[in-house]
Amino acid sequence: MSDATAQIFLDTDRDLAFRAKWYTGRALIYGALIFWAVISLFPIYWTVTTSFKVAADVMQGNLIPWVDFQPRWLGWRTLGLSPDSIFETSTVREEFLKRFMNSVIISLSASLLAAVLGSLAAYGLSRFSYRFGFMKNSDISFFFLSQLILPPVALALPFLVLYKELDLLDSRIGIILLYTLMVLPLVIWIMRDQFKAIPVELEEAAMVDGLSVWGSFVQIVLPIALPGLVAAFILSLVLTWNEYFFAALLTSTDAKTLPVMVASQTGSQGINWWSMAALSGAAIAPLVVIGIVLERYIIKGMAAGAGK
Amino acid sequence: MKTEVFDRLMAAQVNRRTMLKGAAGAGAIATATAAGLGGITRSASAQGNIRPEMLRIPGVGVGSPTDRDWQKVGALTLDATKKNVASGEFAGVELTFLGLNNQNLHNFLFRGFLKPWEAYTGAKINWIDLAQADYNARLQQSIATSTVDFDIIEMGAPFEGDVLGKGLASEMPAWARDQIDMDDYVDYLKAPVGTWGGKTYRVSIDGDCHNFNYRTDYFENEEFAAAWKAEGNEGPWEVPKTWQKVQAVTKFLKGKKFGRFDANGYLDPLKGWGGFGFYFLGSRATAYAKHPDDKDWLFDADTMKPRINNPAWVRAIQDVLDVLDAQPADQINADPGTTGFQQFLAGTGSMLSWWGDIGSNAKTSDSSVVGDDVAFSILPGSDDVYNAKTGKWDTLASGPNYAPNMAYIGWGIYVMARVDSDAKKKKAAWSAAAHVGGKDISLWTAAYPSGFQPYRSSHFDIPEWVGAGYDGDFISNYLASQLDSYNHPNAAIEPRIPGIFQYYSVAEDELAKIYAGKYSSAQEGADRIAAAWDKITDQIGRKGQIELYKASQGA
Amino acid sequence: MAATGQSEGDQLHTVVSDHMSPRRILTGRLLIRFATLVLFAMAIVQALHQSGRISLGFENWRPVLYAYLFWAVAMGVSQVLIRGEQGKRALFVLPAALFVGSMVIFPLLFGLYISFTDWNLASPTGPKFNGLDNVRQMLGDPFYWNALKNMVYYVLAISVEYAIAFGLALLLNAEIRARKFFRVAFLLPLMLSPVAVSWMVGKSMLEIRFGPVASLARFLGWDSPSFFGTPEIARLTIMVMDAWTFIPFMMIMLLAGLQALPKDVLEAAKIDGAKAWQSFWQVIFPLMLPVSITAVIIRIIFKLKLADIIINVTSGGPGGATDSVTSFIFREYRDRSNVGYGTLLAMVYLVVIVIFVTTLLSVVNRWMRGVNEGRTG
Repeated sequence: MSDATAQIFLDTDRDLAFRAKWYTGRALIYGALIFWAVISLFPIYWTVTTSFKVAADVMQGNLIPWVDFQPRWLGWRTLGLSPDSIFETSTVREEFLKRFMNSVIISLSASLLAAVLGSLAAYGLSRFSYRFGFMKNSDISFFFLSQLILPPVALALPFLVLYKELDLLDSRIGIILLYTLMVLPLVIWIMRDQFKAIPVELEEAAMVDGLSVWGSFVQIVLPIALPGLVAAFILSLVLTWNEYFFAALLTSTDAKTLPVMVASQTGSQGINWWSMAALSGAAIAPLVVIGIVLERYIIKGMAAGAGK
Repeated sequence: MKTEVFDRLMAAQVNRRTMLKGAAGAGAIATATAAGLGGITRSASAQGNIRPEMLRIPGVGVGSPTDRDWQKVGALTLDATKKNVASGEFAGVELTFLGLNNQNLHNFLFRGFLKPWEAYTGAKINWIDLAQADYNARLQQSIATSTVDFDIIEMGAPFEGDVLGKGLASEMPAWARDQIDMDDYVDYLKAPVGTWGGKTYRVSIDGDCHNFNYRTDYFENEEFAAAWKAEGNEGPWEVPKTWQKVQAVTKFLKGKKFGRFDANGYLDPLKGWGGFGFYFLGSRATAYAKHPDDKDWLFDADTMKPRINNPAWVRAIQDVLDVLDAQPADQINADPGTTGFQQFLAGTGSMLSWWGDIGSNAKTSDSSVVGDDVAFSILPGSDDVYNAKTGKWDTLASGPNYAPNMAYIGWGIYVMARVDSDAKKKKAAWSAAAHVGGKDISLWTAAYPSGFQPYRSSHFDIPEWVGAGYDGDFISNYLASQLDSYNHPNAAIEPRIPGIFQYYSVAEDELAKIYAGKYSSAQEGADRIAAAWDKITDQIGRKGQIELYKASQGA
Repeated sequence: MAATGQSEGDQLHTVVSDHMSPRRILTGRLLIRFATLVLFAMAIVQALHQSGRISLGFENWRPVLYAYLFWAVAMGVSQVLIRGEQGKRALFVLPAALFVGSMVIFPLLFGLYISFTDWNLASPTGPKFNGLDNVRQMLGDPFYWNALKNMVYYVLAISVEYAIAFGLALLLNAEIRARKFFRVAFLLPLMLSPVAVSWMVGKSMLEIRFGPVASLARFLGWDSPSFFGTPEIARLTIMVMDAWTFIPFMMIMLLAGLQALPKDVLEAAKIDGAKAWQSFWQVIFPLMLPVSITAVIIRIIFKLKLADIIINVTSGGPGGATDSVTSFIFREYRDRSNVGYGTLLAMVYLVVIVIFVTTLLSVVNRWMRGVNEGRTG
């Protein structure tokens, strides 16, 4: 009200003050945004530039390529991924690519499996009430959620023994199953909120039209919940792609993944920062790309379920 | 050896690719070295003089060795294998090799070395790469849950108790022993190291010891010398030969400036390093604790009673505490990697105990600014040494007591007993191990970045190093400090008993608390370590530990 | 575990028009009985074989796994056959439940067993049952209690993270240009692997001589910056690094919540002439409470597992100031192969977390109900 009346009786002083205030506000907002963007992006910038440095540049803390230092391919050459080494045979690159492929296969499969199992369970839990023995819906939900709480250390040795007996050690399937278990609670939790936000009337209408429970789930509900599913999938991907502990424990030659290689870049002889940076950069690149391409789904997916 | 030197030189040198352009196949190696050896072919070198040629791959100053160079070295040194193995003899054999995965070291080399071996013998090798931090855990888990899934393992001698002591390794056949010329090993790597119950199991590929690295420019500095005298210190201003003097110098340097920077004395790593940090307290303690008349210094072999809380060790801990305030800022978070590579080589501090890597980096690494000002010797001694039998401090007639710390006793290649049932596989595994640990190949690993140090008497031939492009004086001083330690009669060799790194790991945790001032005295902290060690011993089985300790001493 | 769907509490009511022929029910029953029989028979045979009682058997338990898969499928089919529509509903939850159950039950039981044994992997004798010895050792273990105390600090730090995340979400929700760029930029830290972060941030950027953060600190007047020198600063540094990776997680949840807020409420607040600050506290913040609570609770769960960064950067130092429970157990377990004791510590920690989280959830639920009733009433 006051604003509206003020607009009619504009006097220049107030107008100026108002504008000044508006500009200060804008400046503050953009200042804060840029500040945090720097905080978020600088480490990534640092990693990427470091992979093009040589030792002297690292020791001098040089920051800006071509200004402070001349970029070199040293770090990438150790991976066999620089322009001059890319066509040579390189056992290092073979190793890197094998692990990279394993990481891709394992994280995608595990996230996919978790998305399927998780969204089914989440839909069931949001629509029907169950009773497994003494467990009701809320107990079942907590049972799933509690898997998120389990400290991996508690399960390390048991899994080693179990997998040995099942002949699943050092197999991709074994790791996929384990990672699925690890991210399933997150998927269930996100998807349950998703489904709760979708009005039941939609399905009831669909069923009146002759669709079965499963039919309406697949044809009506799932497409609406897709952004949420993508969000859950991406979060699973992040967690499985970066998992280190079980990978170090349960894999050796066939199912080995990238994080173990990153961690082993350190040894008794100091650190070759350029190699470390190149490998770290290569290891985070796929997720960064996914983050850039699919970012809108993450927020949209979360938004449907939030605040309900 | 360190990669940086080659990287730096590489940047300065002709583009390697141009040099190697047109070079195809093994025959081109010699031409590519551009050292006037164009005429020498592999068959000629088989007559016995492959060593100079090998040392020119890729040549000091032609860039970091790559996969291609490792393969060349592997091909060049294959003659020893050819004497014992026919071409294609191991066709169809698959072996699994477990080793460390370090930047361009360890498994990276083995892969290249063994590629020509695979081509010649027809065997195939699968690789298990482990991070150093996961190594111990992974090995123990494999043993305890009987999931040993490898045939050949790269392993340090401290784990021999875990593996050899449990009968998991395969005994070395006589032909392999001949192929690698075991008599060439430096003294301390000969039996009982690598043996168990009189049988030999290990192909050594590395020798380890801590030596003393110091800055000559500090000790030639006139101002320091004058101030040293003015402050009424004993003796001349010179490189410390004893820990007593190391302490005095470190305290003296506190608060002084060296050029523009703060002067620092001896660098103590105060943060653990997955068990490896304990070796650095060990280096301070051996001169106090290792009596020439007594083999034991860490435990009593008869009872496994820890000596960590005896006056000798407590004195070493107290020494660290005494110079805490003379250390650079943030030292509490400095692990040995930091003190070695980010401090000493970068010009911080004037004295340091470390493995040979510091020496091979000092002059050649880009991260090193200390270049010409570093020299080496064996670890300092002590004016008096603690006699655990009498409980008294002895002063030896021969002067200060020296006891170099043979920390980790080096890497070796072992073959697991699971190949024993298959004669062909066994021979293949040993042939691979012998190839990697061959006499000639080891000279190359000692001279180039590999993660391994010299460990054979034949590695101490200075002209060979100079021929490869090293500076004569520097390499003489460096090699002498190593050789003096290796052949020292009073060397402190750690017990090769099961779980030895558990002892180190728990000690690191307690030491961190001692250094952070959580205990009232060094003695109290040391007592805690001793109690924890006793607990570990009881857990693993005291009787068994005593037996294995004695077995490892060759008794 | 038989699933009995209760239609009373269902959200989605369906018309159940099943004509269940007795034959169909019988087929279902036979199927599940047969599958159960096969599973048990194979398990028993294999167990006997393993213990050396009979020679008949398999090389490993893999075939039993297949039998379990068959049983799981049979279970699903028979549910539909026997109970029709109700069975179809059970099919939604059944796969996940069977999967989680089969993956967790054995490891948990086995873990429980080893947590009451004295088992050092280096010991030649294997696990020895030692009753409550491990519990007693835990009660007197200063490292464990110290780590638990640190966890309290770490969890408390979430309040600051939450404030920052909320602030960022508000910024992103404001009328700004290049929103997409800022959203992506703010989100990226979440994507990075903790191992890579430990090295590139913890060891490289925070390096006290050449690290850019140290240079910045010197530029700002901190003469000899030291990020891990004293216990307090070291703990703070770890908190900051962990916050850096996880603030985006809370931020996107809060941003999603902000975007889902009903526009008319915000407009109304604006028209009422409420100052931005007032409208935030009186309108936005209360509306955001539910999503805030979810975000904070999930964050707490992740925080309680904090380990990677500590293991890689400080190993718990100086003097245990940065140790988290998981990083301590990790050292006990991995570096010292003390499996029995390490597992007990993990199990106890699990119980502590479950109690803590359930209490938290019920307190929050009760409080939320109170808030809602207060508002409506």
